[in-house]
Amino acid sequence: MIMSFKEKPECILIIDDEESIRDGCRQALTKCGYEVITAKDGDEGIKLARQRQPHMAFVDLKMPGMYGLEVMDIISRDIPDIILVVITGYASIVSAVEAMKKGAYDYLPKPFIPDQIRAVAQRGLEHRELKIEARKLREEKDLYEKGFITFVSHEMRSPLVTVLQYVETIKMLCGNSLDPEVMKIIERCSFRLKNLEDLISHWLDISRVENGNFSKNITPLDLHTVITSAIDDLMPLCEKRGLTVESIIPQSLPPVLGDEESLLRVFINVIGNAVKYTPSGGKITIKASAEEYYVLASISDTGIGIPADKLPFIFEPFFRVKGKEERYRGSGLGLTFCKKIMDAHHGEIEASSQEGVGTTFILKFPR
Amino acid sequence: MNTRKKVLIIDDDNDFCIATKLILEKGGYEVFIAEDGKIGVEVAKSVSPDLAIVDMMMETWSEGFNVVAKLRGSDATKDIKLIMLSAVDLHGPYDEPSMPPEGAPRVDMVLAKPIKAPDLINYIGNLIGK
Repeated sequence: MIMSFKEKPECILIIDDEESIRDGCRQALTKCGYEVITAKDGDEGIKLARQRQPHMAFVDLKMPGMYGLEVMDIISRDIPDIILVVITGYASIVSAVEAMKKGAYDYLPKPFIPDQIRAVAQRGLEHRELKIEARKLREEKDLYEKGFITFVSHEMRSPLVTVLQYVETIKMLCGNSLDPEVMKIIERCSFRLKNLEDLISHWLDISRVENGNFSKNITPLDLHTVITSAIDDLMPLCEKRGLTVESIIPQSLPPVLGDEESLLRVFINVIGNAVKYTPSGGKITIKASAEEYYVLASISDTGIGIPADKLPFIFEPFFRVKGKEERYRGSGLGLTFCKKIMDAHHGEIEASSQEGVGTTFILKFPR
Repeated sequence: MNTRKKVLIIDDDNDFCIATKLILEKGGYEVFIAEDGKIGVEVAKSVSPDLAIVDMMMETWSEGFNVVAKLRGSDATKDIKLIMLSAVDLHGPYDEPSMPPEGAPRVDMVLAKPIKAPDLINYIGNLIGK
């Protein structure tokens, strides 16, 4: 195998609790010119992977402590291009198949001979090259589509914006002299047009997220700052509605990798919903905390709640809980947007609710 | 003698021009309209407006920036106050084409369409006075 044309040898990580396996893999793979690093358990493996960004990892499914599948989940989340191969005993072939369903590239049953692991490594790394090439092509296509979205945005918004400007003009030129009934109709026009404008904006936001157009703006973020600025944004509305806002956010949260602008919008959306659906005198509580592999934020309100049978659908586009007053009506895309953004951050958003008592949204970010 | 301040609107959406013109006239300004960037630059030279409102996306996506560069680049028009308007959602996080190209001349203000009539009057009042 000729490896000399590579600028840097490809790096392969072995995570296995058996020393003999680690040594065997190292010997077999080093001979072919690969750089081999090893870890004896999941935690050490994750740490090493984050430090060294290997091209490929062999993970033993059965280790003391953390379960192999979880280790693979975290590593592939951290290093999207990595090729993962499961090492497994003959008895656990079923779980190896399970791992492959979850995105592992291949599996290697124990015991294996050096030629076997070398063949798997070579095939895996070739697959990785193809994967990267395919991704580059996809990115090119996305760039084109992104231009298209902006174009559609302009074409859809232009006429709408012009009509809104005419409405503004009517109000300015003869607002005072109009019959109150006519003025009411004009206000209704404004209101409905504004809704349509929001709808277009939200639809565009979602199209952009689906195109993955913010991945290059990813930076380490302090959730404390993001949440605080979302609260600041909504404070005037809370005061107007007579709501109490309590935020319990530690200053020393670990950073979260994300796009600041879109996460700010997620928080404004979720907290904004809490404001919208909580009657005067109610309370909104915002908390954040850190767990070993996640940073959590929760937004609870003492609002009208969501019926249990509707709860599973709230992230679906255009899903609305029927029977609500018109003032509650939004674009029907706000939470869909939040869900897409959280997905794009490899995070999660979930809701629990009790009618007449309140709703809690939990946002989970990987760390 | 005519002492009203002059505002030039450069926008290829004729309806938007008419609406904005009516608002500004009500606000006490003398208003001129140009339906594309090229005409806009010519009109700016001939009427010397105190302020120009330039649409960002006209025939091409960045036509507005070209107009701004031309106005800023000529002695006769370089001191005109400029407001850039855009119908693309400026608050969207991913809209690169709506961001000014690197090194683009500064405008005094960027606003999203539609714009509330009293707000527009206020902003213009702050920039050039009544």
